[in-house]
Amino acid sequence: MTLHECRDRARMLGPYLDGELEGAKLIELDEHIGACETCREEAKLLSAMRGSLKRVLETAPPRELRERIGSAMRAERVREARSSAETDALAAGALHARFASWRTMVPLATAAAFALWWGAASRGPQPASSVARAGDDLLAELVAEHSRPLPPDATGPEAVRKLGRYVDVPVRPASFERGGARFVGGRVMPLRSQRAAVLQYIIGTGDDAARVSVVVYDAQKIQIDSANLSPRAVGTAEVRVGREKGYSVAMAQRGGVGYLVTSDLDPENSAQLAAMVYEDR
Amino acid sequence: MAPPTQTSRQDPDPFAEEALTHLDAMYGVACKLTRNPTEAEDLVQDAFVKAMRGRHQFHTGTNLKAWLFRILTNTFINKYRRGGLERSVLEGPDADPLADAWVSASTMRQLRDPETQALMPIVEREIQQAFDALPTEFRLAVALCDVEEFSYEEIAQIMGCPIGTVMSRLHRGRKLLQRALYNHALALGIVKGEERIGAAWDDAPETAKTANLAEYRARKRGAA
Repeated sequence: MTLHECRDRARMLGPYLDGELEGAKLIELDEHIGACETCREEAKLLSAMRGSLKRVLETAPPRELRERIGSAMRAERVREARSSAETDALAAGALHARFASWRTMVPLATAAAFALWWGAASRGPQPASSVARAGDDLLAELVAEHSRPLPPDATGPEAVRKLGRYVDVPVRPASFERGGARFVGGRVMPLRSQRAAVLQYIIGTGDDAARVSVVVYDAQKIQIDSANLSPRAVGTAEVRVGREKGYSVAMAQRGGVGYLVTSDLDPENSAQLAAMVYEDR
Repeated sequence: MAPPTQTSRQDPDPFAEEALTHLDAMYGVACKLTRNPTEAEDLVQDAFVKAMRGRHQFHTGTNLKAWLFRILTNTFINKYRRGGLERSVLEGPDADPLADAWVSASTMRQLRDPETQALMPIVEREIQQAFDALPTEFRLAVALCDVEEFSYEEIAQIMGCPIGTVMSRLHRGRKLLQRALYNHALALGIVKGEERIGAAWDDAPETAKTANLAEYRARKRGAA
């Protein structure tokens, strides 16, 4: 046999080992491997490589991913189950009636927004671990930033984007500004040994005005794992919603970036704002 | 607002439940595509939501796993790779004759561990890096075949290409891996550098090839 033929057969070693050869081809390869040491060794090397690949490349998804995707799929199913008319009515009805401008912005941002409480039922009781406690402290710290805000340093969109440099994740004003919320400004806040960016908004006017803060942070470095927040699906986003010190808090995460919305509104509205930030990314 | 969750909780969706049995595999392949666990999570979520949205297009009784992976692959291409897969690599000529070059049987033997049906541990350490360095479509083909054990036909459906292309991607991906491992072993001094007898093969006259092979085999037998 010439080496040329041997090399042609060597190209069939993959399909041979993958169980993709049949009949005469399979017999031919079997015989060839019996007779040719190089091809035999190559076959063994290929299968050793497969064994190693399987072992080395094995990955397990993070525990909460199944839950997060399950919620997103349920939300999709429910969204679909309702006619768009119903959806709009529901979305409008879900909103706090205080803000006329606020009411108009929601269909715009989350056309299919309805919030479903799976809450504690799907997740079960949260263990009061040390992590959760640390999460509560962190949450309290973030809410304090909303309740006692420092004046913003960055007010223009360009200046806001530049905040991203200090917090390691992209920062830009959320699109809900379009819906009537007024962007006040943003600044960097120190958070434990990390930094986050805080964006401040005002929704409504006069006595009806409500403040909204959005904290943008690197979700890999800062983990907020508070028992006060329950998971909830809004549109395609999984948002964690709750109350802290009388304010409503909603958290969403995408692409390794965390967004925490704290507002004077009710949790419903904060959840929808968080979902809008999520869907905007 | 009336929460519609009661229905959802008591009436689990059979499609979602079945789809989620493939979550581990989907996440595994998403990690291999994105090379970034966080992006992999978002990619998998997007793919599952799309599958949910398009579940009426799925024909019950056909291959759900392959269908989900097709959605995953397309989502990846649309989201992260607007220009599609690397066409130059795909359709270009076999730019790398070394990928087909042979090393001797004894060298190949030195790369694997006879006990474990795997590579030598010291070489295995390199495999993640070598795998991550593969062009996307080779990486995907190898992951689908060697890790997820899809058939060639399923891989062709997932990647949207003919079976012949699957075979060529697998072959070239595996050859690139082998070469990376060989170079690693060479650098570590596990194997000795040797003349690669296949490198300039196509230019050699047929008689020389036969002669070389005979000589090569004689050398092999002598060494054994």
